[in-house]
Amino acid sequence: MVKRKLGALEKVEADLPNLQHKIRRDPKSYIEDFRAQHYQYESHREIFMAAPTSATDTGIISLRELIDFIAHVADCYPDITKDFPQQLMDILTQHHLVLEPELREKIVGSLVLARKKELLDSATLLQTLFPILITTPSKTLRALIFQKILMDLRTSNSKTTNHKLNRTMQTVLYNLVTSDRVSSKGLWAIKLIRELWKRQIWSDAKTVEVMKEASLSENEKVIIGGVRFFLGGDQEREEMEDESSDEEAIDMGKVKHQIGINKKTRKKARAVEKARATIKRKERKKNQPHPLNFSALHLLHDPQGFAESLFSKHLQNSKSKLNLEQRLQVLQLVTRLVGLHKLHIMQLYSYFQKYLTPRQPSVTSFLASLAQASHDLVPPDVLEPLIQKIANEFVSEASASLVATAGLNAIREICARQPLVMNETLLQDLVMYRKSKDKGVVMAARGLLSLYRDLNPEMLKRRDRGKEASIGLRSGEKKEKRFGEEAAGGIEGLELLEQWKDEERKRKRVEKGLPSDAEDDEDDDDDGEADWDAWNVEDDEDSDDSGGWIDVQSDAEIDLSDSDEEKDSRPSKKAKPDDNNEENAKPETAQNNSETQKQNIATTRILTPADLAKLQELRTQAAVDALVPGAKGRRGQTNASRHKDDPLTAEEIEGLAALSAGKATREERIAHAKEGKTERSEHKSITAKRKERKVEQGKSTTNKEKARRKNIFMTLGKARSKGKRSLVETRNILKAHQERQKRGGRRGNVG
Amino acid sequence: MGSSSKKKKEKQKDFKKATLKVGKAKGKPENFTDTSFKSKAIVLNQQSLTIHAPTSTTQFTHHISLLSSKSDSQRRDALGHLATSISARPVHSPLPQPVSVILPTLLPLILDANTGVRTHLLKLFRVLPAADIRDHVPQLLPYIRAGMTHLAADIRVSAVETLSWLVAVAGSAVVSCAGGWIKTLNCFLSVLGWHTEESAKWSANRASFGKSGSKGAPMMKVVTVLAEFLAAGVGAPREDLETGDSIDPFPLGPTRVHMVPDTAAPYAYLNLFGQPRDEEGEMYETWEDRYRVFAHRFLPALQRGLENARQEGGEMGRASSGASKVLKEAVAYGQGIV
Repeated sequence: MVKRKLGALEKVEADLPNLQHKIRRDPKSYIEDFRAQHYQYESHREIFMAAPTSATDTGIISLRELIDFIAHVADCYPDITKDFPQQLMDILTQHHLVLEPELREKIVGSLVLARKKELLDSATLLQTLFPILITTPSKTLRALIFQKILMDLRTSNSKTTNHKLNRTMQTVLYNLVTSDRVSSKGLWAIKLIRELWKRQIWSDAKTVEVMKEASLSENEKVIIGGVRFFLGGDQEREEMEDESSDEEAIDMGKVKHQIGINKKTRKKARAVEKARATIKRKERKKNQPHPLNFSALHLLHDPQGFAESLFSKHLQNSKSKLNLEQRLQVLQLVTRLVGLHKLHIMQLYSYFQKYLTPRQPSVTSFLASLAQASHDLVPPDVLEPLIQKIANEFVSEASASLVATAGLNAIREICARQPLVMNETLLQDLVMYRKSKDKGVVMAARGLLSLYRDLNPEMLKRRDRGKEASIGLRSGEKKEKRFGEEAAGGIEGLELLEQWKDEERKRKRVEKGLPSDAEDDEDDDDDGEADWDAWNVEDDEDSDDSGGWIDVQSDAEIDLSDSDEEKDSRPSKKAKPDDNNEENAKPETAQNNSETQKQNIATTRILTPADLAKLQELRTQAAVDALVPGAKGRRGQTNASRHKDDPLTAEEIEGLAALSAGKATREERIAHAKEGKTERSEHKSITAKRKERKVEQGKSTTNKEKARRKNIFMTLGKARSKGKRSLVETRNILKAHQERQKRGGRRGNVG
Repeated sequence: MGSSSKKKKEKQKDFKKATLKVGKAKGKPENFTDTSFKSKAIVLNQQSLTIHAPTSTTQFTHHISLLSSKSDSQRRDALGHLATSISARPVHSPLPQPVSVILPTLLPLILDANTGVRTHLLKLFRVLPAADIRDHVPQLLPYIRAGMTHLAADIRVSAVETLSWLVAVAGSAVVSCAGGWIKTLNCFLSVLGWHTEESAKWSANRASFGKSGSKGAPMMKVVTVLAEFLAAGVGAPREDLETGDSIDPFPLGPTRVHMVPDTAAPYAYLNLFGQPRDEEGEMYETWEDRYRVFAHRFLPALQRGLENARQEGGEMGRASSGASKVLKEAVAYGQGIV
């Protein structure tokens, strides 16, 4: 409906915004006027409620304006307006179907305003708005209410987590999803939860429980909404976090500089204040401990039960109405759960049997799911027929190269997770494909080869084993892993730290002029001392303040240092190192393999916070190194870089097949080549880059630059007169120029 | 060569840019299709040629529809026409349209911004048959109350005038309908600014908002109407009961009490279909009910306000003395109740 304009004559002299403004300034004096307007609102409401459907235009307009007015000043007269929110809620719940859209929006807005002014509590507001969100047929109203509900939940959780509200709301959503499994109303619960999950407002098990119920519902939309949440919700959350963390970095120095130069206005002063507050907030945020956010898949209570019911309800059930794409998504979720939690669903593998043919649409997704579903606790004889089938159906001389690549990749991925499924003849047969003509097939076969060189080289032919594996076999280091065998755990990246420490020690010894290899106890002790002193990394000021105190302590310590008890003698900071010690107590078998190596660092000493910080740094460094292609980066081994939680995608199964001749467009090939390379802007000279930076920082130009940019018509006159100079004039000018050059410019060299 | 050069030229033509000239019409696009045609006669499909002049009833209906027109003068003229046609009709003949049809379009005009419209509206109200109005009081009152608390002083005054007419026409219905007693009294207090002790004082530094026409006269009018309203509500009680009693002979004496009341909505007080009512919206049908709630909530404020107004003297004092007379009577009668 077009908003009706009020004509000039229709306007009365005193309007509500004016009164509102005056009331804001002096509520006490205008109480009578407010009361009159409140009666007016009451009468209009009465008129409206008597016949909501046949209200006139002007009546609606005045009711809307009055509602707006009262909502804005309601906090000044709480005793007069105590029923106001309730009345609005009544109007909305009873008549939201017939209300005029603008009035409806105004009522919703006023309710939210009343919430902001604390005239109404969040729970009541949400309990009013949520039923309307679900029932109303109006799209605009739904959008508005959804936004308002989200905003209210965000604001009420902004300072501290409002557990009570969250709990009630989660219960409402849970009931919504579980009460009527056939209807599509559960979508609202999914939408709301997904948004809140993304913003990390809700990240607990109960939320996940709601989504679990949603993915077990009867309605396809709801099912897929729930499944998508599990498959992509966490990624979305991470992206959101990245986005929010790198938004608008304010350069405070620049802001201060600019305010010093530019005209000072109140607006600009406010902008500076704002910038300062933002920076402060960011600082505080940075110092806060990182929130623990478990992925939704980890927060599930009963993954086995969930995966089983998903499988039997949506996949095995022949009556399920899901189409292929949707079923694939469900399958992805089931297999991810199986792989992540090492579940056992034996029917799942026989279910795959009929889909493993090259003619099956989106077979690569099926292959990826199968690989995801295999883990080292799956009995090999369950997987073996599947491997055999893949080998028979996909990998043959006759099949297309793409198909063979996909098959080989799938086999490699499965074997990476459960190496025992492979038998010797099949492996040797498959490895032969590295002599194929197609690049994709070659790469896939090589991947398989290098995988078994690593895992079980005995299965390969002697000449395929390679140097490292042969040596490993002879020394007995490479052994077949038995079914269910578990490697003892350790600290990730500890060997990096050890290596780094070793290098540091050597460097120091070289500096001292000692032979770098020789070791003696005294030196070790020195190192130890240095490490203990560098106990803390973060709070430098703190140690500065108490510097004198520490001196006294260290004197006492030197006396004790002979007795090898320095760890115990360290006072007051024992709680942390003790924990570490217990954790690290398990020996790392991977490190123990060579007898010449000295004992593991974790078993011999306590890791200080400084050590841990260094460890973290080295870990990230290693991760970055792994990404950059080059001498060390082995791209064939996808397992190395992938996190356990990450899903396996169909693209990975397709592998290099995408690169095979003629299949990729030029752009794709370029994009692929650029992948992994660090970002680099266009090539430019250093001067040009400097100039650009200067412009970027908003610095001013030099006189020279100004002269160069000057409009030619402005310079023409001077140029003309230059030609008309007399000889004497020219001589004088030249002389002056020479003089100036000697002096070093107009300003001169001497300051 | 000849034909090929011609072809070349034709080809060139396609790529020539049409030059636009100032003041000339724009060239036709290439895919322009000429749709003009020639005809000897033009036949218009819909043409209304009635020989008969519209009947008075049609005219009446037409003018009712004009009441929601956007132009002030049209609304005012329509009101004038309706008033004359009602007053000029033969005596005892029914209205061209029943009151229940006319009223819903008339009511919003109580809040009309134009003064002329409102005065004409009041004129129209005055010619409407009183008996028909009595049944529609509950619909009328919310509009009148909205008018009484309107921001514009003129609308407030005319709403008070309308109320005065309504009290004169259907006094008992006004005070006994749902919300008619307390809510209306509240509006009176709000118009007069007598709600609290502080605001009732003449010396109070009351920041009055909105343009309030000429200060003295409207206040006087409001006080007069307040007196009328009070008289209808709590003044001179039990008259009709006594007269009713005297008519019937002995054995039928109290029968009338047990008969179904002959009002339009006899069971309205049960509130079977409406919104649940609170204290303010309740019906106060008997004199005692009204007096009880009046004495409880309004009596002190009114006495104080009237006293102040009396002290002001002049016309205002005279008007207030009329109201205080009613008040005194009521207090005298209601001595035993509270």
